[in-house]
Amino acid sequence: MQATNAGAPRPPLSRRASIYVLEARAEFLTLARMPAFTVPTLLFPLMFYAFFGVVMKFSPSAPTYLLATYGVFGLMGPSLYGFGVGFANARDSGQLLLKQTTPMPVAAYLAARIATALVFGMAIVISLFLLGAYAADVTLYRWQWFALAGIVLASVIPFCALGLAIGAWVKAQSAVAIVNIVYLPMAFLSGLWMPIALLPSFLQKLAIVFPAYHQAQLTLKVINMDQGGSAGGHVLIIGIFTVIFLVIAAAGFRRVSQR
Amino acid sequence: MSRIVSTRLVKRFGAENTVARTLMYLAVGFAVFVSFLLALPEPTPPVTAETLENPPPEVSFAIVGAKVFDGESFLPNQDVWVENGRIHRIGRELDVPTDLARVDGRGRTLLPGLIDGHVHTFYGTLSDAARFGVTTVLDQFTDPRLAASKRAARDTLAPGNEADLFSAGMLATANGGHGTQFGIPVEPLSGPDDASAWVRARKAEGSDWIKIIREDGSTVGRDIPTLDQDTVGALIAAAHEEDLLAVLHVSTLEHALEAVALGADGFMHVWRDAIIDEVQAARIAAAGVFVVPTLSVTASFGENSMAPELLEAAGGAPLSPMQRQTLASTFSNSSGETTSSVALENVRRLREAGVRLLAGTDAPNPGTAFGLSMHGELRLLQRAGLSTAEALSAATSTGAEAFGIDDRGRISEGRIADLILVDGDLESDLSLSTRILAVWKDGYPIDRYRLDQERQQTTPAPSAAPETTVIADFENGVRANFGFGWQVTSDQFQGGSSTARLSAENAVLRVEGEVAAGLAFSWAGAIYFPNAQPMQPVDFSDRDTLRFRARGDGRTYHVMLFGADAGASAPPSVPFTTSAQWSEIEIPLARFPTATPGLIAGLAFVAQAPPLGSFLFEIDDVEIR
Repeated sequence: MQATNAGAPRPPLSRRASIYVLEARAEFLTLARMPAFTVPTLLFPLMFYAFFGVVMKFSPSAPTYLLATYGVFGLMGPSLYGFGVGFANARDSGQLLLKQTTPMPVAAYLAARIATALVFGMAIVISLFLLGAYAADVTLYRWQWFALAGIVLASVIPFCALGLAIGAWVKAQSAVAIVNIVYLPMAFLSGLWMPIALLPSFLQKLAIVFPAYHQAQLTLKVINMDQGGSAGGHVLIIGIFTVIFLVIAAAGFRRVSQR
Repeated sequence: MSRIVSTRLVKRFGAENTVARTLMYLAVGFAVFVSFLLALPEPTPPVTAETLENPPPEVSFAIVGAKVFDGESFLPNQDVWVENGRIHRIGRELDVPTDLARVDGRGRTLLPGLIDGHVHTFYGTLSDAARFGVTTVLDQFTDPRLAASKRAARDTLAPGNEADLFSAGMLATANGGHGTQFGIPVEPLSGPDDASAWVRARKAEGSDWIKIIREDGSTVGRDIPTLDQDTVGALIAAAHEEDLLAVLHVSTLEHALEAVALGADGFMHVWRDAIIDEVQAARIAAAGVFVVPTLSVTASFGENSMAPELLEAAGGAPLSPMQRQTLASTFSNSSGETTSSVALENVRRLREAGVRLLAGTDAPNPGTAFGLSMHGELRLLQRAGLSTAEALSAATSTGAEAFGIDDRGRISEGRIADLILVDGDLESDLSLSTRILAVWKDGYPIDRYRLDQERQQTTPAPSAAPETTVIADFENGVRANFGFGWQVTSDQFQGGSSTARLSAENAVLRVEGEVAAGLAFSWAGAIYFPNAQPMQPVDFSDRDTLRFRARGDGRTYHVMLFGADAGASAPPSVPFTTSAQWSEIEIPLARFPTATPGLIAGLAFVAQAPPLGSFLFEIDDVEIR
């Protein structure tokens, strides 16, 4: 990608900013007009939360705990699908090649997808918090509401990186299946669907290998329901995961470029 | 695809226009998001001391709309009106005066202050208990002087940070029996003939009931001298003669059944050696005997300590150094997994038979902490089959009634306003008991968050050092010229099994004993307390040297100096060597680095491992110059 853009003249700053905004807008509208994407992305976390957190409510603290974990789960959707499936599609359909011939910087392409995931993320956060606060009587201090929303939204970083790593390597036809294989088991095993303490102890020990676990623990720290690891440790591990995913993704790009 | 869409948009509106509109949508969206977060519901602020505006002596307020556990069952949506430290009225939508301070009880549970049925009190422990909602402790053996010093506080309704103390005072045991190893004064009994005078002496000292030890060490694989059946029977009869309850420490089912036949009133542990059968349980129920199972201490005996679970649940209130230390420590002679399951099964069967059960922790034994462990005991009782309400009754009304303390243990009109307000519906989840919002003692809110301030209040200022520099010359036995005096000290209090004996022969202090394997740090010897209260400091800042004479078996011994913060950290120690000849030993006090130099709460002369084995040394003419 870098190679094809190298010779193009560099547009002025205001034009470049416009490129970022327009690309993000286009990306958002593309996804927003795909019910196959929007409906599961927006409804899955809400549906699960309504079921486990509001209707079943297996313990008094469940609605609060699950609000944090389904928030993280909610962000996994747009991040993984947007990057994993979206990128594989763009590449295999030739659209990526088309974009590579335009003066648009590669960063705009990535930023557009991250911004789109964030917008969907905010919609998920709003709907989850609405359900939690008014259907399950969750009350939190103002700083906790903000911190919860902030950390949940910040989980786009590791999940987009993971999506990119998947999208860079798999074929468009198998992208959905591969994303699902990563997405659903990781959510369950990281304690996003039900409290991690309810899982068998060997599964609890296994959970530390998933970035979603660390993201969830970080979120749960806000409401004092985490398993007690240090926040710095979780951030560090998430950072390491993100770097690994980006390296894998970069290797995938190189492979595409060389073809 | 996206490129085509955006190109079309650019054509229709012009790129700049689209960019501006997109940014505007984003800004509006973000503003909506932030204002949405700002509008989300917050918890009602926790109750603090400041919530109550009426200062003493008129401690009057109302808690409105709370779920109330009244000592027996849960009542929804109740108002509780406290007037001058007592419960004035309880009911739905009471006609509370408008100028009365109110505490919002909605979504919260109000329960009586907890009563810990089995503790051993030391200085500072009563405030540790109160911080976690334990407003009354039933002490089963402590220094009678300590118990006496706390009696005035329990008989008055006054602000304070401590739980009320009711105590057996000294315990009844055999010479060298269980209870003699802690360095707390004990007068052992040698037979049934001693019983009557012994019980009268306890009553005169102020014991609230009589605690009797029937323990031969068999369940821990040791051989300990114990009172025999006849002496136990005579003690129970003598206690009843003086209108005192007689409660027993037993470890075996056999000893328990024997004591039931002798007329015992209660057991301070559940036996761990055998599971009771239906007929035996029915016999205990019919005799009206109560049981304080102390599952907390049994759990740490069997390596199932509640400590990790409790540390996690402790919440915001601070743990004192002593609470941290006792929670973290473990018994050296673990009896394995089975003891706790046997204890749990016994409790389950006693409950089915209708035997009265009381919650008690045996704090501060290893794996327990004053106050906090009562919440662990509640969970353990629930694991033994008690319902939430039954477990809470065991921790409130049952204890008050079993020990005849009728002014507390329930939320009903006229009772003392010892109250705990917890966040959430305790009825649905007993583990919420640690989510304490407020504790009231005698109607006064307890400051649960200021450990240091509270310690300053409860720790008396150090006494001034007396004129004389000589602590003891042992001309008149094991005595000191001032202070609480000399005691045996050993690792037994932490669960070790080292021993020591003190005697004064030929006007010198003879210290002999055995350092036994067990703990990482085994030790035994003699300790001297310069203050009238053990482990309270005396100000020796105008002195600079510890001097004494010593001789012994040739091994190296240590002097340990306990400063004002004793218990917060390991005491500094300085070695000295002995030989068959007397030698003068001088140690500058500066060689004992403590937080506040000059303050001395205790001086211990001990043998430490390595090496293990027996030791003998003598000291004389102990001076701080």
